[in-house]
Amino acid sequence: MEELLRQYMNLYYIQVLTLICIMMIAALGLHLITGVTGQLSFGHAAFVGIGAYAAALSNIHWGLPFLICVLLGGLAAALAGVLVGFPSMRLTGDYLGIATLGFAEIVRVILMNMDITGGARGLAGIPRETTLVLAFVLAAVAIWTMYRIQDSRFGRALVAIREDDIAAECNGINGLWYKVSAFAIGSFFAGVAGGLYAHFLQYLNPSGFGFAKSFEILTFVVLGGLGSIPGTVLGTTILTLLPEVLRFSAEYRMMMYGLLMVIMMIFRPRGLLGGVDLLPLLKRMLYSLRKKQTPLNGDGNGRSV
Amino acid sequence: MRRSKLLSMMILVLFVAAIFAGCGGGNQTPAPADETVKIGFLGAKTGGHASYGIETLKGMKMAADDVNAAGGILGGKKLVIVEEDHGSKDDQAASVTQKMITQGTVAIVGDPTTGFTKIAGPIAQGAGVVLMSAGAVGEGVVEIGDFIYRDTLLDKVGAPLVAKYLASELGWKKVVLVTSTNNDYSVGLSKLFRDGLAANNIEIIAEQTIQDSDQNFSAQVTSFSNKDFDGIVFTGYYTEGGLLMKEVRKQGLDHVMVGGDGLLAPVLWELGEDAVEGSMVYTGFAADPANASPKTLAFIDAYKAKNGGTLPDMFSAQGYDAVMLLVDAIEAAGSAAPAEFKETLKVTSNWEGVTGTISFGPDREPIKSPVYLLEVKDSEFSVKATIDL
Amino acid sequence: MTTDIVLQQLLNGLTLGSTYALIALGYTMVYGIIQLINFAHGDVYMIGAFVGLTMVVVFGINIWAALFVAMIACVLVAMTIERVAYRPLRRSTRLAPLISSIGVSIFLQTLMTSMKGPQPVGFPQVVSNTIYTIGPVKIALVQIIILLVAAALMIALQLIVKRSKIGKAMRATSEDYDTASLMGVNVNRVISFTFAIGAALAAAGGVLIGMYFNSVFPLMGVMAGLKAFCAAVVGGIGSIPGAVIGGLFIGVAEVFGVAMGLGSYKDAIAFALLILVLLIKPTGILGQPIQRKV
Repeated sequence: MEELLRQYMNLYYIQVLTLICIMMIAALGLHLITGVTGQLSFGHAAFVGIGAYAAALSNIHWGLPFLICVLLGGLAAALAGVLVGFPSMRLTGDYLGIATLGFAEIVRVILMNMDITGGARGLAGIPRETTLVLAFVLAAVAIWTMYRIQDSRFGRALVAIREDDIAAECNGINGLWYKVSAFAIGSFFAGVAGGLYAHFLQYLNPSGFGFAKSFEILTFVVLGGLGSIPGTVLGTTILTLLPEVLRFSAEYRMMMYGLLMVIMMIFRPRGLLGGVDLLPLLKRMLYSLRKKQTPLNGDGNGRSV
Repeated sequence: MRRSKLLSMMILVLFVAAIFAGCGGGNQTPAPADETVKIGFLGAKTGGHASYGIETLKGMKMAADDVNAAGGILGGKKLVIVEEDHGSKDDQAASVTQKMITQGTVAIVGDPTTGFTKIAGPIAQGAGVVLMSAGAVGEGVVEIGDFIYRDTLLDKVGAPLVAKYLASELGWKKVVLVTSTNNDYSVGLSKLFRDGLAANNIEIIAEQTIQDSDQNFSAQVTSFSNKDFDGIVFTGYYTEGGLLMKEVRKQGLDHVMVGGDGLLAPVLWELGEDAVEGSMVYTGFAADPANASPKTLAFIDAYKAKNGGTLPDMFSAQGYDAVMLLVDAIEAAGSAAPAEFKETLKVTSNWEGVTGTISFGPDREPIKSPVYLLEVKDSEFSVKATIDL
Repeated sequence: MTTDIVLQQLLNGLTLGSTYALIALGYTMVYGIIQLINFAHGDVYMIGAFVGLTMVVVFGINIWAALFVAMIACVLVAMTIERVAYRPLRRSTRLAPLISSIGVSIFLQTLMTSMKGPQPVGFPQVVSNTIYTIGPVKIALVQIIILLVAAALMIALQLIVKRSKIGKAMRATSEDYDTASLMGVNVNRVISFTFAIGAALAAAGGVLIGMYFNSVFPLMGVMAGLKAFCAAVVGGIGSIPGAVIGGLFIGVAEVFGVAMGLGSYKDAIAFALLILVLLIKPTGILGQPIQRKV
């Protein structure tokens, strides 16, 4: 399948699309933490980094099968997520965000100073295992899983905490347990994305997982529409493509990127798909299409009366 | 029902994205392949690594201009530099490399740093395109594969020679070693200096660490200011080197600094001013009229004319040489097919460039001779010693 | 370490800390009023340093005049940013202006890179290199200037906030945005004013730091901004004395960390302190406890 793709598709597009799928998995993790549970995290890239290094090292040193390595990366990140989840008992809002930012910077500095990670020289020699097909399948699985989580009792508890955690506690929801679980699951997603990223780039450097990356992932989630899965998917896709599409503007590329971020935010303060429920919109579109073929009693706007 | 509908929506969005991506890159009309030879520039024009990338690109463009002015390549074809910015980001470096390969570049010059070279290396190797790093000095670069080259003076050659010179000619016995820990070049060079200094009985009485883009070194300098030592070995880049020496003078110390070609740029004295007078740098590239070859002099003059009188640094010189090395290999092979000219590149020997004489050894590593030890005098580098291999 | 070295390092730490404090004040004031973490603030500081440098090098004016021009320029920049990128988002979710500020930050950094190049530019020697010896401690003239200017600006700020009419309006707005507005406070003007003061302080910080560290470059605001932000949080965000204490605390801690041989962990020190302080006192050293209404 991958061979077929590589024959008929521009390798550059494959490269960019694979990256989009990987980042999407990471962004969905943050979507669960920040979008669904309402816990601000400014340090998501650290979980991606932990997953990436764990997966790469277990492949290089233990020679484990690739998918096991990715799973291990996810679990390592989940463990770190539990660690970060506990302060969420005491810290709320921006303060939690700042604490996660601090955590992420500490992780980066530790990765920079460890021998096994290669420190500033980075970790090279990771085999290329991640393919577009695999990344795409895993991204689809991640999206499906996220929908399952949100539609479950567990997911509704998380939303309850986001809306009002005191009211949620009063209704018998154990806030700490749910918050820590959200951090663990969200970090697991990030770790899996990290494992794929490591076997996609074949080289890791701690500086690639700094706060700039964390804010980039946060921007994916917020700009797409906080709390919306289609929003996260769209946000990741657009913002990963943007630097590539803007290449024509040469040295003004990143300037335009920054400017577009501001403009998109001003015109869609709740995110591109924030507050848009796709399903009725889709139904209405289908309905008006059908109406054109067989006239029905409508109010002319596609709404039935 | 509802879920599956939304799921199919998602997949739809992904495909729309795929088409979007297709449009984004698809509107470049490729020039007729038989009239041009394309060499890619991989490096940063924005972000933390921009100062190295921009200089490399300047050197590459000068080389391309020279080649085209002299009638082009392979009997009249135009040499084109395809430039892309990776913004100092790992993932974009991979995308950019892939993009340049799909645009038909036969060789890529860059990235001046080891880290990004290690990202681009496997991609270039897999696609069968020659990658010539104009600056990577770390381990494990040419080991990626037989399409990967570099044109820099290797520190494993230079550092021990300099350590020997410090001990035998200058009589140094005790030094302070300063490393920039988030700079792979610095970490690697410090390791080499530790061995080289020990082999020449020079004791490292204190080690300090800084980070690239730090501006304040007062704490580091204070902590060795009351010790007795002969000089400072600093393994990082020119920016931090200049600022470090400024702080050393501010705290009343009169020691000089020794370092690798990471210090080789006018920025060193633009930032360090009087404080870097007497500091020493070893390099394979000497911008000193008294010692430079005519080729080097011509490059320096051309660069100065184009850049308002500023002197070139090692990145621009290495970028220039990288393109010229590739051009000569292509001419020698009579073909711009990477698989063919990589063979002629491999046997390059005693090739004279603006950064000195380059040969590729059996392991495809560059051998550059001689090693110059430069000293800053009146805000200019002058040759203090020429050490032959 | 001997006592001499400890005292010398303490002085190094205080100088570094007071520059952090100057930047931290901007974060803390803006947060105190509109609960926005203004990530573009570090870049306003960078612009201040560049304007000051240009004034001294190109126009050859006196350093104090350059400092004043840089402050005015940054006030204009910050008020424009507030008007364009934050004001339209004032009624939306908390994260919207945050993302907008990240966009502004990326824009300013790349703008300066394309205008001035990525290379650090040396700051000319505008203050003589005199070193005074007071007891066991050596202090450079530039350090004395930084400490004095920083202290003067902080006292002036405290007076404005506590004594003046606009200061009263600022405090009222920070207490309750809507009620202040109902009481006839022109909140738009107050918020603009807050941004202006924060920017003026950051610009002063930029010029002073350029003078002290001898270099100015487009990405200088990134780490300094983040550290200063940490300082603001450690001291208790929203509190002006808190920002000063936080800045000095982090500066001193960093310097002693380096002195104890933890140089390669330097960037982690500020953040480890931050987490520690937050876990012990969730709103920082001088922060008001969050009142939760059920």
